[in-house]
Amino acid sequence: MDRRRFLEGLVAGAILGAPVRAGAGISFRLGLTPVFLDNDAVVIDRLRSSLSDAMGEPVDLIQRRTYQEITASILDGSVDAAWICGFPFLQHRENLSLLGVPVWRGRPLYQSYLIAGIGDDATGLEDLRGDVHAFSDPDSNSGFLVTASDLARLGETPERFFARSVFTYGHRNVVRAVAGGLTRSGSVDGYVWETLAAVEPSLTGRTRIVARSEWLGFPPFAARADRASDEDLQRFGAALRNLGEQPAGREVLDLLFLDGVAEGDPGLFDGIAARMAEVARL
Amino acid sequence: MMVPARFGTWPITIRVALATAGLMVLFGLVASQQVLSTLGRLQDARLQEYARLHVEGLAVALGPFALHKDVWEVYDTLDRARANASGERILFTVVADERGSVLAATDPMRAPVDSAVAAFADDAVPVGEVTAANGTSVVRVMAPLSVQGREVGQIVTELDVNDLVEQRRAAALALLAGNATATLILVIAGYAVVARMLKPVELLASHMGEAGGAPQAIPETAIPRSDSVLTKLLRNFNEMAGAIGARTEAERRLAERERFVSLGRLSSSLAHEINNPLGGLLNATDTIRSYPDRPDVVRESADLLDRGLRHLRDVSRAILEENRVDRSGRPLSGTDFEDLRLLFEPETLRRRQQLEWDIGVGDDILRRLPSAPVRQIALNLLLNASSAAPNGGSVSFTLREEEGHLNLSVKDDGPGLSEAARSRLMSEAPVVPGGGVGLRLVRDLVADLGGVIACGQSETRTEITVSLPWEGNSAC
Repeated sequence: MDRRRFLEGLVAGAILGAPVRAGAGISFRLGLTPVFLDNDAVVIDRLRSSLSDAMGEPVDLIQRRTYQEITASILDGSVDAAWICGFPFLQHRENLSLLGVPVWRGRPLYQSYLIAGIGDDATGLEDLRGDVHAFSDPDSNSGFLVTASDLARLGETPERFFARSVFTYGHRNVVRAVAGGLTRSGSVDGYVWETLAAVEPSLTGRTRIVARSEWLGFPPFAARADRASDEDLQRFGAALRNLGEQPAGREVLDLLFLDGVAEGDPGLFDGIAARMAEVARL
Repeated sequence: MMVPARFGTWPITIRVALATAGLMVLFGLVASQQVLSTLGRLQDARLQEYARLHVEGLAVALGPFALHKDVWEVYDTLDRARANASGERILFTVVADERGSVLAATDPMRAPVDSAVAAFADDAVPVGEVTAANGTSVVRVMAPLSVQGREVGQIVTELDVNDLVEQRRAAALALLAGNATATLILVIAGYAVVARMLKPVELLASHMGEAGGAPQAIPETAIPRSDSVLTKLLRNFNEMAGAIGARTEAERRLAERERFVSLGRLSSSLAHEINNPLGGLLNATDTIRSYPDRPDVVRESADLLDRGLRHLRDVSRAILEENRVDRSGRPLSGTDFEDLRLLFEPETLRRRQQLEWDIGVGDDILRRLPSAPVRQIALNLLLNASSAAPNGGSVSFTLREEEGHLNLSVKDDGPGLSEAARSRLMSEAPVVPGGGVGLRLVRDLVADLGGVIACGQSETRTEITVSLPWEGNSAC
């Protein structure tokens, strides 16, 4: 253990009013949210090992149930970086900096899907009025903000429009809720739905896509802005962006159905910012 | 085969077999009921334990979620519990809040969120009362969801108990089949054992019933040695059969002797019958000797001799006929009654009794009956009547044919039959020692011929009537 680095970090943390890398010198901590396929232990293990190899130091993957918890973990230094959603990234834009944005199907973009049961005849959001709807997380762009902003355009809120809204805290859970008939409809990450369609078609096969959103910025990897220049964060960012260059990293990307991780531009999330503004206006 | 109507008249082997079957069926029913009852209790205990574990496990996990009305977590917990459940016992589970609104169910299509749980809870029973004994393949069990002593909702679970119902049905069928087989085996075995045990009895019955009811001794080789009681019984029977045979033989000899007795009783009269003409015949021979040269006197005396000798010939013939050892097979005829009159009339003359003799039946009817027994019957009755009638009284004998029967009627003006005589004539009661056997012989002979005896008594007359069916018209 590097006592000097530990002490430096402790001092810096005291100065900033927040701990810096709790357990610094032991391992690098990456927070994961349910945007990720958090039920697949194999994928998580491969991601951890490939990132550890790329960084040259151990990487711990920290999972939390909600976006709020993981965002708070970044801000309070409980984790060094996190794979979060564009919506909380924008909510804390001033305190967060981008480490990279995954590239899916050639672009760092994805969509939000409005889904319903396979036998449901809804053709749009308005057909789902008065029924039970599943959201992923109140801090999720694709799993909440997109539908909430669509409703805002209609002058509605989820509480008024739906008979009941259910937060499942997981995109896969949204698909399960709709497929199992617990809710009539759900708001889900389009990337997750498409990936599930490939690996678990029996689940998505019981749902159908009612509406797709415009293309929006893919959930990014972010870190606290004041630590963006830290050497380990620099190395982690480089490891992410170069993940596809190593066989293990390539394998992980294939498991995640991603092409790679791009440097990213905060402008990717302008669409999300616009939807945030629409909701805020209501 | 016609089955006798009353159970009590059925063969004992069948009755024992059926009684065994009845007892076995009764025993089988009671035993089966006990087995099924025990099985049911074990099944219910197992089912209640299963339901308790399931419901209590879920209740612990779901309590906080129900408290917060967290629909997704309730559903997720139910869904994972369903996916991880071993076996297919749990069909469906629904969780409701404290107001009875559905929070989530393993099949939300059946129980949508916010619908009323009452549709499922109404016929649900508490965990401790769940049973598979109702025969339904699905039972519902309900339990409250509590958090820190506060009831926050309820859980209703449908349990598939079809396997238990099937198990109970299979057990019932197995018991039924087993009991039926055991009953059948025991019935057959019971029949065989009883039939074997009763074999000596059947042997006894067959020897008792043969030859028109006359007991026949059982051959020594047929007597079983294994059972000393039965051996003794059969030997006793043989001794009894021998005694009966000896008695029959004695009776036969007695009957034979009775004929001589009858003649003995007539001997005095017959001696007079022979003696009386002898005086006249000797006078005739003296007359012939005295008047050999008077042809008319000789002729007259010769005629007298001829008539006397013919009478003697007739009397001796009748006596001989009566004493013939073997008269079996000879048919009855009018001559038999002429002989009887010839033998009997001197007795009435001796006692100065008036004899009325009326034979109103021809040989065409008479020959249908055997000679010997009818002659003996008539002679014994006539002797009895003559004895009963006072000196100077009257005796009558009438023979008539009536509706296929030959009716012999003997009347006298005596005081009537004594009780002992009536018993000998009319019943099978043992003959009192010292009394005559003539009337008992009449009874036995009439019985052998299938006839009946009637005895009438008026103030002055006693009438005994014997009605004999003739051959081809025997009494049924």
